[in-house]
Amino acid sequence: MRFKNVVSVIALSFLIGACDSGIKSLDPIFVGDYASGILVSNEGPFNNGTGTVSFIPDDLSSAENGIYKKVNNTDLGNVVQSIGFDENRAYVIANVSNTITVVDRSTFGKIAEISEGLNNPRYFLALEGKGYVTNWGDPNDITDDFVAMINLTTNTVEGTIPVDFGPEEIVSRQRTIYVAHQGGFGQNNKVSVIDGNTDEVSTTIEVGDVPKAMQLDAVGNLWVLSAGKPSFSGEETAGSLSKINTSTNQVESSIDFTTIEHPNHLGYDGANLYYTLDGAVYSIPTSATELPTEKAFDGVGTYAMTVRDGRLFTTDPKDFASNGSLSIYDLNTKEEVKTFELGIIPGGIYFN
Amino acid sequence: MKNVILFLFAFIGVNTVFGQRDSVIVLQEVVLSDSKLQQFADGIRVTRLSDSVLQRNRGMLTDNLQYNTPIYFKQNGYGMVSSASFRGTSAQQTAVVWNGININSQLTGQTDFNTVMAQNLSEVSVRSGGGSTQYGTGAIGGSIHLNQNLTFGSPFENTFRIGYGSFDTSTIGYHSEWGTDKTSYSIGIGHFSSANDFKYLGTARRNENGAFTNQNLDIAIGQLLSKSNLIKVYHNTFFGNRDFSGTLTAPSDDNYRDLNTRSLVEWTNFNTNHVQRVKVAYLSERYRYYANKERDDFSFGKSGSFLLNYDYLYRYKKWKLNGIVEANTVNAEGSSIRKENRNRLAGILLISHTPSDKFSYGIDIRKDWVSDFESPFVFSMDVKYQPSKIYTVNLNASKNFRIPTFNDLYWEEAGAGGNLELLPETSLQGEIGQSLKGKNYSFSLNGFYISTSDLIQWRPDISGNWSPVNIKDVTQYGLELETEIRRKSGEHQWQWKNGYVYTKAIDNESRQQLIYVPFHKVTSNLAYTYKKWGSFVQGLYNGEVFTTTDNNQNIADYLVLNAGLTYSFPKKMGIVTETQLVVNNLLNENYQNVAFRPMPNRNIHLNLNFKF
Repeated sequence: MRFKNVVSVIALSFLIGACDSGIKSLDPIFVGDYASGILVSNEGPFNNGTGTVSFIPDDLSSAENGIYKKVNNTDLGNVVQSIGFDENRAYVIANVSNTITVVDRSTFGKIAEISEGLNNPRYFLALEGKGYVTNWGDPNDITDDFVAMINLTTNTVEGTIPVDFGPEEIVSRQRTIYVAHQGGFGQNNKVSVIDGNTDEVSTTIEVGDVPKAMQLDAVGNLWVLSAGKPSFSGEETAGSLSKINTSTNQVESSIDFTTIEHPNHLGYDGANLYYTLDGAVYSIPTSATELPTEKAFDGVGTYAMTVRDGRLFTTDPKDFASNGSLSIYDLNTKEEVKTFELGIIPGGIYFN
Repeated sequence: MKNVILFLFAFIGVNTVFGQRDSVIVLQEVVLSDSKLQQFADGIRVTRLSDSVLQRNRGMLTDNLQYNTPIYFKQNGYGMVSSASFRGTSAQQTAVVWNGININSQLTGQTDFNTVMAQNLSEVSVRSGGGSTQYGTGAIGGSIHLNQNLTFGSPFENTFRIGYGSFDTSTIGYHSEWGTDKTSYSIGIGHFSSANDFKYLGTARRNENGAFTNQNLDIAIGQLLSKSNLIKVYHNTFFGNRDFSGTLTAPSDDNYRDLNTRSLVEWTNFNTNHVQRVKVAYLSERYRYYANKERDDFSFGKSGSFLLNYDYLYRYKKWKLNGIVEANTVNAEGSSIRKENRNRLAGILLISHTPSDKFSYGIDIRKDWVSDFESPFVFSMDVKYQPSKIYTVNLNASKNFRIPTFNDLYWEEAGAGGNLELLPETSLQGEIGQSLKGKNYSFSLNGFYISTSDLIQWRPDISGNWSPVNIKDVTQYGLELETEIRRKSGEHQWQWKNGYVYTKAIDNESRQQLIYVPFHKVTSNLAYTYKKWGSFVQGLYNGEVFTTTDNNQNIADYLVLNAGLTYSFPKKMGIVTETQLVVNNLLNENYQNVAFRPMPNRNIHLNLNFKF
């Protein structure tokens, strides 16, 4: 029996909103059917199938599913884990297939496929012409984990940086890269700091157990949400929300959940952080010293979650064997804006 | 296959040993390894696969059954893990019964039909519908019976089989049997291996990492201790070593090895009005799964099951009463299953009454007491009415169950865990059938209805950990139609068998068809023999199946045709040589049985049989 390991799903807005250079607003070069709207990666069935990408235009008129296949008449591969972006390109990661498909992010036309030099790839980050991809290797092996470096001109893996067990999400601030180690099929409690000038791990920061999500805030702090060790690990620990000062790379403060609470996902709207816990969404100001007691949203899908432009985006994978959905809510009125039926197991929400 | 021989020699044997007609009937019965298939199945449809049918498909049991029965199979690529859906039920709801003992895995609750080799068995039968009262957990859609029957007084007979074909596929088999008046033995070994690197039609790729090697040993020994005491010993060992093939979208470097053993000793004491049996059996299963076959790391699971069974059959005029007490202890452990033990005690009562030649009925009841959860009381009733020689009506209704497996209860892994609060799946079902049977034809039509509650499915909880829950209620209903025509004129012989099954399998909540259950399945087998020549054409049509629970995605229907030609050379130096040339997937159909896993293109095999 091989169950899809329950992986954290990225609230990817950091790739867009949090890079210091800032994402370029839609340049004239971003022209295509999918130039402006929401992209959702659907993992697809675990063993016998392919993941897909759905698109919802800015006017939220309707969702278009399977856009990659529509454009290229071929499949992305097994378990589409995440999508990373650089300029006008998108990098779609299929982790069981061990491939990254490079597409034009506006037309979704295929540009290249990277299949050499990866081993269970998870998340992609672009930094000044170079791609950094976290790789689990064997998810039970604590010694074979690495970050692959990709030449974004030739689309080939040009080197690897060995890292601690189970590297997952990856973000950057200026020329410093942060990798959260949630720990593959086991558990870990580290954030690796990679110097983008030397491509070496300069330090590792200890955080709470199972760091699942990261967000950079407006003043340059790195927020890390750790889920804590689950009960089946035999030594259940509490989730926590830590603030890392990116100048010193030290944990400045940390708020603990109770031992049986295991939060997930982290969204950021410029003032508040948002996380999910037991089927609800909570919001917490970056200045807070205590966790909120009131739920911002309850009874929503929480397989993926992010916030952007005053709206909350969450996905529901249903029974994991049929089409899932994306729901959009207004953060102020808490009203549902619209729900779209997408592909199988919608796991990543991105914006074009 | 040995039906005729069995009857013939049973008579000879009995005439010399007993010389009494009643005892003949009794001995016929006690040499069967599972006499309940005949004794307590009046209103139940039992179909037997003859030896010649089994020889058409030399592979594993999946091949034998999918071309000859209404059962739908899904394989994770050819030769890989294969599970059955019988009457639209789940993989764990078909019981596989070896010499009367349920051998479904204690870990997964199902039998992988690509780990069973049938060529050396004397009988493969398919019993349609619920059979939990007699065969226990999982006998919901139906049960598959693998029997080794003994033949006393049969000559020393050996068969050596060798075959080679496409994709470097080779088969080797040897079977030997011999029986005196008092002793009978049968031994069979089998080997089936293949590089299995067929082309994915319409692509430039091959089925990489799909090679397998399977080995099998079957032994059956019977010894009459006196004219009313018989000892029987049965054994089966299966060893499989398979690389698990990838899919169109994901490569694979997995390897999987199973080792299953089954041993049974049975003492039978019998006379004209009673038969008592004591059975002692030990079943073991173990697997190793290598996520990367180049490395030494593997995960494993194993279980051992010890069974003690006392069975007392009493015949009184037109009544048969059969009481059974069965004690069973099972232990299992694995890399992701904590070591656990389960004890089970079952009490069973079977009653069969034949008031007249035209009418008979049976009533069965059973209760299991299991150490780790509550098992339901189950029952069944069946009726057979035969108003004329050629026409039969049968009816049955039953309550059946499927108990949670060790995986369901005790799984422990990152992101997934067993659930100790599980209840058994229970099903209520009914069936009505009628058949016409003449000298050269038969026709049967059966309608079935199954309602199952508390289906166990693995689902993620609110924090994303997968765990099994009793979540679903489903309903299956459908029709099975079978026809057979035989014709003989001079040296020409024809036989044409057809089967069609229509299956609705509905999730009670969503009202959608369950995934991987086709609405339509058709099988057809046409055989023709002329003197020393024989030929056959067989066809399998599987209708469209859905692969998502919202029925949004599907796999297209497909038709696969196989054909074979045989020739028997005249006996030379005491050896009869038979040659067989088989072409599978004659039309070179590009089809998938499970999504994204293409099945083999056209392939050819040459087989030789030597009988001496």
